[in-house]
Amino acid sequence: MYSILLRSGTVLASLLLSFSVQAAAPTLVVYSYDSFTSDWGPGPQVKKAFEANCECTLELVGLSDGVAMLNRLRLEGANSRADILLGIDTNLTAEARASGLFDTHGISLESSALPNPWQDDLFLPYDFGYFAFIYNKEKLHNPPTSLRQLVEDADGPTLLIQDPRTSTPGLGLVLWMKKVFGEQTDQAWAKLAPRIVTVSKGWSEAYGLFLKGEADMVLSYTTSPAYHLIAEQDARFAAARFAEGHYQQIEVAGLVRSSRQKPLARKFLEFMISDEFQKIIPTTNWMYPAIAGNEVLPAEFSQLIDPSPALLLDEALVASERKSWVDEWLEVMSR
Amino acid sequence: MNIPRAIPASLVLALLALLVLAPMAGLLQLSALPGFEAADLRIWENAYLRRVVGFSLWQALLSTLLSVLPAILVARAFALQPGLPLRRMLLGLFALPLVVPAVVAVMAVVSVYGSDGWLPLGRKLYGLNGILLAHVFFNLPLAVRLLLPQWHAIPQSHWLLAEQLGMNHWQRFRFVEWPQLREALPGVLLLVFMLCLTSFAVVLTLGGGPRSTTLEVAIYQSLRFDFDPAKAVVLALLQLALCMLVAIFTLKLQRMPEVEIAAATPWAGKSKAAQWFNLALILAATLYVGMPLLSLLIDALRGPLLRVMFDTGLWLAFGNTLLIGISAAVLAASAGWFLLAYSAELAQRGHSAAARLVDLAASSVYVVPPLVIATGMFVLLSPRVDVFDWVYPVVISINALMGLPFVIRCLGPAMRQNHARYHRLCLSLDLRGWNRFRHLDWPLLRRPLGLAIALVAALAMGDLGVIALFGSTRSATLALLIYQQLGAYLVAQATVTALLLLALCLGVFVLLEHLIGGSADAAA
Amino acid sequence: MLRLEGVEFSYPSAPESTMHFDLQVDDGEVLGLIGPSGSGKSTLLHLVAGFLRASAGRIVVDEQDLQNLPVAARPVSIVFQQHNLFPHLDLYTNVALGVDPSLRLAPAQVDAVRAALARLGLESLQHRKPGELSGGQRQRVALARALVRRRKILLLDEAFAALGPALRAELIELVRELVQEQQMAALLVSHQPGDALIASARCAFICDGRVAALADTAQLLAGSEPPQLRAYLGSQ
Repeated sequence: MYSILLRSGTVLASLLLSFSVQAAAPTLVVYSYDSFTSDWGPGPQVKKAFEANCECTLELVGLSDGVAMLNRLRLEGANSRADILLGIDTNLTAEARASGLFDTHGISLESSALPNPWQDDLFLPYDFGYFAFIYNKEKLHNPPTSLRQLVEDADGPTLLIQDPRTSTPGLGLVLWMKKVFGEQTDQAWAKLAPRIVTVSKGWSEAYGLFLKGEADMVLSYTTSPAYHLIAEQDARFAAARFAEGHYQQIEVAGLVRSSRQKPLARKFLEFMISDEFQKIIPTTNWMYPAIAGNEVLPAEFSQLIDPSPALLLDEALVASERKSWVDEWLEVMSR
Repeated sequence: MNIPRAIPASLVLALLALLVLAPMAGLLQLSALPGFEAADLRIWENAYLRRVVGFSLWQALLSTLLSVLPAILVARAFALQPGLPLRRMLLGLFALPLVVPAVVAVMAVVSVYGSDGWLPLGRKLYGLNGILLAHVFFNLPLAVRLLLPQWHAIPQSHWLLAEQLGMNHWQRFRFVEWPQLREALPGVLLLVFMLCLTSFAVVLTLGGGPRSTTLEVAIYQSLRFDFDPAKAVVLALLQLALCMLVAIFTLKLQRMPEVEIAAATPWAGKSKAAQWFNLALILAATLYVGMPLLSLLIDALRGPLLRVMFDTGLWLAFGNTLLIGISAAVLAASAGWFLLAYSAELAQRGHSAAARLVDLAASSVYVVPPLVIATGMFVLLSPRVDVFDWVYPVVISINALMGLPFVIRCLGPAMRQNHARYHRLCLSLDLRGWNRFRHLDWPLLRRPLGLAIALVAALAMGDLGVIALFGSTRSATLALLIYQQLGAYLVAQATVTALLLLALCLGVFVLLEHLIGGSADAAA
Repeated sequence: MLRLEGVEFSYPSAPESTMHFDLQVDDGEVLGLIGPSGSGKSTLLHLVAGFLRASAGRIVVDEQDLQNLPVAARPVSIVFQQHNLFPHLDLYTNVALGVDPSLRLAPAQVDAVRAALARLGLESLQHRKPGELSGGQRQRVALARALVRRRKILLLDEAFAALGPALRAELIELVRELVQEQQMAALLVSHQPGDALIASARCAFICDGRVAALADTAQLLAGSEPPQLRAYLGSQ
């Protein structure tokens, strides 16, 4: 009898030992985009803050953007190492949902800083922003005050925009125009086209060209001036406030269905909506924290324009109409 | 003798085919799975696609002509001015544009020709003009470096005779220079054409709008935003087919020189007018290439130079960059060597069509978009291995694939001539394998080999497209770092990093050329 | 008649060693030039042709100083050891280039080209390319071109060095005939002293950048002064 006890004791002990060795350093893999994971993004601070309490290692994998992330997950399928996908926006959530690659996060969101209530069991928001046209106050003295004015004024400012086929803000503008002009969007594009200096591949090229003075305004985010204010002490840049409102971009994270660390992943998601994570966002990702209130925002953010009303199209509508809207843009711009 | 050479060459060809076709097959297989919509394969009925193909070919053709034709004159000017001071430095400068990541080059071109630039073109910059400007910036210097060695292959007596027979410049070009040039020119035209055809960031940013869409953009779009792998593969195959057609046509024009050659310094008499003309050409070319680079330098010097230089992340990225660059270069050079040796053998035995086919295969792989290959590889690898462990081998092999055509261009003519001269001698002396390489091939082919390796390394070090696809926390290269910085408002920092990338790549380029190619004087 | 009076030259890379040439060649004469390699034989030819500019002295042809004339204007034809012909052009065109590089020949000139080729036994080959010919035939074509140009001076820079002794002798004999016919003044550089015996009544020994000895060929080749000549001949 003692031998049985001894044997079962040893077995139990070795089980416990192996379990504790495993539990000592689990790794949580989060796919995100480059500007999140890089040294000057939220990545390092997030990693430090999370690892302080989780008894784990947080591995952040940087991919080029949200689209690349989702495609990567699709390609990897069930073999994926990813536990969490962080950084797709609401234009992709419908496809992400349809892919069946995500699991419910099981976290109930009591409140958020978003202008509209958030209802989604698969995805949790972590930050958001609004698209806007940025200009140099010293060069442009009378910026347009509405999207309609921007479109209608034939002598208006010259613009730099991004291609909706390769860039998120580019797509954002298409959706924004659709929301405001509806059926007349093609005519609006036609009126706007002569003032578009160039259509760039991504945000960086367009913004870089704007900073070189190639056009009066560039499509970016309402929070862009905050970067210049805080990091460069440069107050020359501002966003043009449009009366119709500004189109919103909400960035979300989701739990990967094939993850082998679901409890830990859920823990990360809880961390993501906590103040500790949220306060890192404004000065590293240059967006508004989705959950935490204005108390985590640096003072300079109060100088940014008020983008309300926040415009957003239903994700199912975007998923089904996106291609035809982009084709419409393509057709008008290619004339 | 056919058998030993055919084996490594066939292996390389098989690997090439595998590297290009297998990923495409993987993608097609993926799209056959449920959840993917069937590809609309009736491409020709699609007016948009027809226009895209038309524009792609048109801008590539124009860019090629505008880059290579002046390059002939500039290379000639360099060849006829062997005593030019700072010659090596100028030629080194001409290697730089290849290194510059496209997005940085676009910024530099805008700095010079934009609204606030030194030679402002204003809005006229965005459109075909901008595309041509940028493409010529990239490709004129490359073409000059690839064509220059041709002048040194002309026997000196031809120059002297031309002088004595009283030939004027045009006659001399026609009888002495052109026959030698004709060997290398079609290949250079083809290479530049391919580079311009697959150019992406330049076209998209300086093109001014969707009117300037190329096939490469359409492929990118179908794979990323539409996630339609089948369509991407079909378009990629279309691009490959188009390129092969062009390649068949241009490579047919290639002629082998019919005389034995030795490295010689061109002698062109003392006409003052001609000298001034040549100097003016060299100056013009240097300014054209140098101005964007200079603007980059100036912008970078205004930036946080010290902070960036002392960032350990930068040096880690440099290490990765160097590793990828040199590995890709060595791999491409080895593969190219075997293929060219086989091709030379075939040519010498009179199977010129087969020789050209090998040439063709090795050259056209460039136009298969790295995105397609990388994604396809992904599909093949990820069910079987942890993809993150495979980032380096995949990135290196794709970069080697992209570099192969450069090796063919640099090394091809010299290898063919070497073979024609010495092969029978080697047979009779039973000089084979390592001995042959050590005593014959290495000393005589060091030069072009050095240039080839240096070029491919430079290309791989500045590459952004491939590494960005795999993404990882650890494998940042300098080019990727630059793009990340640009995406985070850190324009000044990115400019400094770009400058460092250029400086480091220039150093590596000169070092490789020197180490492998051997130090020499004026020649090439 | 060709006369070099006090012609001096030094290479920029070796300014201390100045070459000094005094020489005379009569019309119808083939002067042999022998000497060790690097002694200045080819340099001498290049000075006459105008590829190099002398720093002092005169090069006179029929009372005209060539010094200020550009290469193309000098009454000189040169045949090199190799690469005299343009490989992608046929023989006829190669020779025709000697008449007019624009290849626009008057009928009389066309006849002259054909005649020159015939004189050298090549007329049946005139549409072949140099690659299809033997070394000896190629040098004949070069001679045909020199012939058709009707210049006063003919320079042969080791032109037959790559050929076997019998062929060499034949071609040198041919040179002697052509030089006689056209009353040219010819300089024949060879690294084989024996070659001078075939066509040159006189022979010069070039050593250390100067004419160290000049005499009847047979006398020179049997001679023992200066000591360098003896050493050179002994080594041959």
